Amino acid sequence: MVDLEQLRYVRLIADNLGSAADFAQRVLGLEPIDRDQELATFRSDFRDYTLAFVTGDRAVQSVGLEVRYPRDLEIALEGLRGLGLSAGRGSAEDCTSRKVKDMAWCIDFSGNRIELVVRPLNSGWRYFPSRDAGVRGLADVIMRSVDIEKDLSIWTGVFGAHVSDWAGDAAYLRIDDAHHRIVLFPARRPGVLAIEYAVDDVNLLMRNWYALRDLQVSVVHGPGRRPASGQLFLTFAGPCGVLFSFVAEGASVGERHRPRQFPAGPDGLCNWGSECKIGEFIDATRGVERLIGRGANRSLMT
Amino acid sequence: MINLQNVSYVRLGTADLDGATRFATNYLGLEISHLARNSVYLKSDQREHTLCYFAGSPADQAAAFEVSDLAELEAAASELDRLGHDVRFGSAEEAELRHVRRFIAFQDPTGNKIELVWRPAIGNRRYHGERDAGITGFSHIGLCTTDAARDETFWTKVCNARVSDRIGDAALLRIDEVHHSIALFPTDRAGIQHINHQVATGDDVMRSFYFLSERQVPMVFGPGRHPTSSARFLYFEGPDGMVFEYSSGVREIADELLYRERQLPFDAKGFCEWGAKPQIKEFRN
Repeated sequence: MVDLEQLRYVRLIADNLGSAADFAQRVLGLEPIDRDQELATFRSDFRDYTLAFVTGDRAVQSVGLEVRYPRDLEIALEGLRGLGLSAGRGSAEDCTSRKVKDMAWCIDFSGNRIELVVRPLNSGWRYFPSRDAGVRGLADVIMRSVDIEKDLSIWTGVFGAHVSDWAGDAAYLRIDDAHHRIVLFPARRPGVLAIEYAVDDVNLLMRNWYALRDLQVSVVHGPGRRPASGQLFLTFAGPCGVLFSFVAEGASVGERHRPRQFPAGPDGLCNWGSECKIGEFIDATRGVERLIGRGANRSLMT
Repeated sequence: MINLQNVSYVRLGTADLDGATRFATNYLGLEISHLARNSVYLKSDQREHTLCYFAGSPADQAAAFEVSDLAELEAAASELDRLGHDVRFGSAEEAELRHVRRFIAFQDPTGNKIELVWRPAIGNRRYHGERDAGITGFSHIGLCTTDAARDETFWTKVCNARVSDRIGDAALLRIDEVHHSIALFPTDRAGIQHINHQVATGDDVMRSFYFLSERQVPMVFGPGRHPTSSARFLYFEGPDGMVFEYSSGVREIADELLYRERQLPFDAKGFCEWGAKPQIKEFRN
């Protein structure tokens, strides 16, 4: 078991680096950091970057999390291989392009690539946003999972994460005092579903809602409030087929927090009654209906 | 000086009493306090009623304010009379209809029908809305004004209102520590411009936004946040074109000596700091 210290970055494969970078700057309001023919990275907080768009042959979609020591990488790899997963150490080139000292990677049971990094670069200079969206930093990532139970065995068994709450079969996972940093959401295919950036408060969240309208960005869920985490959210379509959210407020939880079961689908994901256009979230409700129809799990009806 | 204690109730005439009642209960979330012949009394807080719809002309609207004792009521009557307002004491029957002991009726300089009431009834049980709108009570009214400067003088010099802020020439007036209980909006008619109910949290504002939107209630402004009072708001249209507002988190002004009113622009930014644009005639240039 290793301790995950922080959520660090999401790397996305960009077909069009220019338009992806434009979105990050103009819509998300992030600060551009590195830019070349195949890479564009963006800062949102104290971390050197939290969002990277990559193009070319070596481009991969991945979620990066920090561990403290190189020996943690070996411990993790042992655990991951024990589960039968393909996993390995990153090359020196991989480390350089990610601005980390050392790294390991694995492909989870769904096909998502998870990267563990040691000594990722922090910025010495404070974050200076391109637009006053009020972004405070990368908050969490929602990942699709085709097999929640098996993927959870990685997060809780090897990575030492805890389930904070359930919404249907979706699991909110915490690695620090935030309610969650990773959400595993049931889906038919793998991939990053949404990347969520925290903004200052409800006022910034709502200001962004109106700003997104002016920017003609398609809002797919919210503004709303999540019953489990108490987070305010506003989710909208981004480049690379990935959704982005602004989130605010939300509860932090302690060690003694007991995971609670919330309803599947939009009902369990918003208690304001916002319209939901996210396929996976809507499908989650159907999954429950199927289960109830078969009488497989009546407890989910409450 | 007439000392207004608080805003007591609003009386609205309507040609469709059943429709207005349905809106007030199922959509707005008020509770029927009691039904009388040709009128329905609606409750939003501990008070016996804060809104009354009666069968009549939608142009027939009145707003009532409470005064603290009978001597005040009588002094107010002679003061208004001295200033040339047409003041009359309500009959015992009229007072009973309003659930007050005594009241006087007059018109402000624009022609808005105002009532000053003594001993309005308090309910013996708490408010329980028809739906969970989170309403904590009837809180303020917007009044039409055909001459903003003249009417501001009336409400501040004759009554005890103080200017909390101005949006263009529209004055937001307080009569107690709440940022405003009366707001005067320049327009070309007399009447009640909007009716505000406070809700418990910003979440309630948003829940109602989705609830009412789904039911095709016309949204005319918001959700948003007023830079003046810092309240989160939602304006929507009810029967007879009346604008209703929910808001939460209205600022209170505790220190009269230190507070200084501010001037905001009469445009979307003066009304909302989130970026919502009003579709309300009186909020637009």
